[in-house]
Amino acid sequence: MSLSQIIGNILGPKRAAALVFNESEFEKIGLELKGEIDRVFGRSLAIRELDTGSDNAVEIELNNLGTPYYDVERFGVCFVASPRHADVIIVTGAVTLNMAEAARKTYEAMPQPGWVIAVGDDACGTGLVRDSYAVLGAADKILPVDFKIPGNPPTPTDIIRGLLAFMTTILSQKKKR
Amino acid sequence: MAELMTIIESHLVAKGFDGRSRAGADGTEYLSISVVALVEAAEELKRQPGVVLIGLWAAEAFGAPGFTLFYAFEQRGAPAFFILEVRLPGNRGMSIAGEFPAASYYEREVSDGFGIEFDGAFDRRRLFLHEVYPDGCHPLRKSFDGGKVLPARITPEREYAFREFGGEGIYQIPVGPVHAGIIEPGHFRFSVIGETIFNLETRHFWKHRGLEKLAEGRTADAVVQLAETVSGDESAANACGLAMAIERVAGTVVPRRAWELRTAALELERIYSHLGDLAGMVVDVAYPAGAAPFFILREEILRWNAELTGSRFLKGFIVPGGVSRDIPIDFLEDLHEYTECFLARFDAALDDIYNSAWVIDRLETTGIVKPELVSPLNLTGPVARASGARVDNRIDHPYGLYQELKPEIQTDEAGDVLGRFQVKAGEIEESLRLIRDAVNLEETGPVRAECRPGSGYAAAAVEAARGQNLHWVYFKNGRVDRWKARTASFSNWLAMEHAVIGNIVPDFPLINKSMNLSYAGNDL
Repeated sequence: MSLSQIIGNILGPKRAAALVFNESEFEKIGLELKGEIDRVFGRSLAIRELDTGSDNAVEIELNNLGTPYYDVERFGVCFVASPRHADVIIVTGAVTLNMAEAARKTYEAMPQPGWVIAVGDDACGTGLVRDSYAVLGAADKILPVDFKIPGNPPTPTDIIRGLLAFMTTILSQKKKR
Repeated sequence: MAELMTIIESHLVAKGFDGRSRAGADGTEYLSISVVALVEAAEELKRQPGVVLIGLWAAEAFGAPGFTLFYAFEQRGAPAFFILEVRLPGNRGMSIAGEFPAASYYEREVSDGFGIEFDGAFDRRRLFLHEVYPDGCHPLRKSFDGGKVLPARITPEREYAFREFGGEGIYQIPVGPVHAGIIEPGHFRFSVIGETIFNLETRHFWKHRGLEKLAEGRTADAVVQLAETVSGDESAANACGLAMAIERVAGTVVPRRAWELRTAALELERIYSHLGDLAGMVVDVAYPAGAAPFFILREEILRWNAELTGSRFLKGFIVPGGVSRDIPIDFLEDLHEYTECFLARFDAALDDIYNSAWVIDRLETTGIVKPELVSPLNLTGPVARASGARVDNRIDHPYGLYQELKPEIQTDEAGDVLGRFQVKAGEIEESLRLIRDAVNLEETGPVRAECRPGSGYAAAAVEAARGQNLHWVYFKNGRVDRWKARTASFSNWLAMEHAVIGNIVPDFPLINKSMNLSYAGNDL
């Protein structure tokens, strides 16, 4: 890369600036979510994703949350590498027999208090594979699910909307205590 | 009659075996032989140039009591598939893994599902049924009612035996099934000297969902819905592959308009899948800013998918007989326009990568898949093409409009991560061209024909983003009796074990991302 290119990159118009993102709804929900996370979790919500038998579409949408269009980290949502760092486990997919033990171990590794959110139709118990011999059932068959975000798969906006609703339930739980 | 078929048939007759060949409704050549003749046929097939085993599956009570094994072959350059039908009097078959190494994985799969044992097999470990399944449980048998399985207790003796690697300085790193990123579960057992990978053994099927059993008794529409859940990012490809097999059973002619829209969906799927891979490879060499344009473009394609078909993953769009809804012409005109604007930005993003020496340095010579592995392991898709193999199901076995669209094959000789990066980048541009050429903006027409399969069976293959996906379906009185899906991932996973040897552990994620094989689509 030449010097003029580097200077051009710094001073010149950004390619991204030419793209118009019409994301007012997502922005609005995101900022609301940020406010709730600030109040309940002290500025950041750490999520560990646990795939127990999805078709991978949900994972793709969860990954999309971190890409430039959505960039949810700015709202305090972060996906972490270990259950030991997590406030929340997001379970995707029906729980297969083969994954049941690993799923239990992952949950047990999460510090308490911790929450479990089922994302996607299969994890919520309404998916296509619920009657198979190879699955135990929905996520709540083996883990204490606190909240469900259905969809095949839910869009990134659906997921953020779901997380916002989850925060509201946590808040009401806290008040009861 | 196909040349290969004549050779095998006359060879078997000369050896005193008797076999009857016939052409199926799908243009596939079928030959029924005994299990003893199988080994003879396999040896002869191996002597023929360019013959590759592309699938092996079983069916029970297929026209007669007992089991039937299906060995699917293709010969490079011949459009028809070639399937050996082997009737088993009992539950013992013969292994052909010595002739066709890819058979080993399939034989283990058949053993799990049906309890069929293969004499001479060098690997008899379980495949998709992990230890939690009790002994003697063979869920694809008709006698298995499809109900819930009572999990077995996992004792140390029943635990899966990984291959042992000993020697001074060798240690093992077990990784997974639950990984550190937002990614599907799988287990990798690395044997390592220092940082260098000496051996890798993958163990998958954590996500085995029993899809093939679930298909039994379903209607054509319902089973295609099931095919969409094989792998979320191959929804269109698998729906199309299975729908084609069903249409061949039913004798349905799919309207041209439907094929135009199907082609657009299939190519959009390839584009967003490849964009994710390019971005992933760049992220894995720690250059997120370089990956951002690819992520942005992918998100835009996902939105186009939703706009055109109602689903970001193209689910519910391809159905038996055609497509579920027409797409308004003005949407398609907008899509045409968008492809122009896409291309300019895509090229700029690629330039940035190709001009970044530190990125190329990581991609080049990393994770080489040797060309001599392609045929024995039946590698397919970009993984095979980046190692110089000129294989593409759209060209080798054209379906729909591909005969007239003439996709230009993208290949590379290096077989490394950079090779796969370049092949995928080239395919994105070619897919844009195919979309523009496929969709006629002037004429419209019906988008769905009646499709009522009665009884019979057929095979069909599509080129998914990851390579050739093979579907075979057997209908009995309008209901599915057996469906077999063999995805490109199932074929290509074995390449990973070879590609990583001699590389360092930190490059594994990069090699993995460059192939982007599906776990769900492998585990079924």
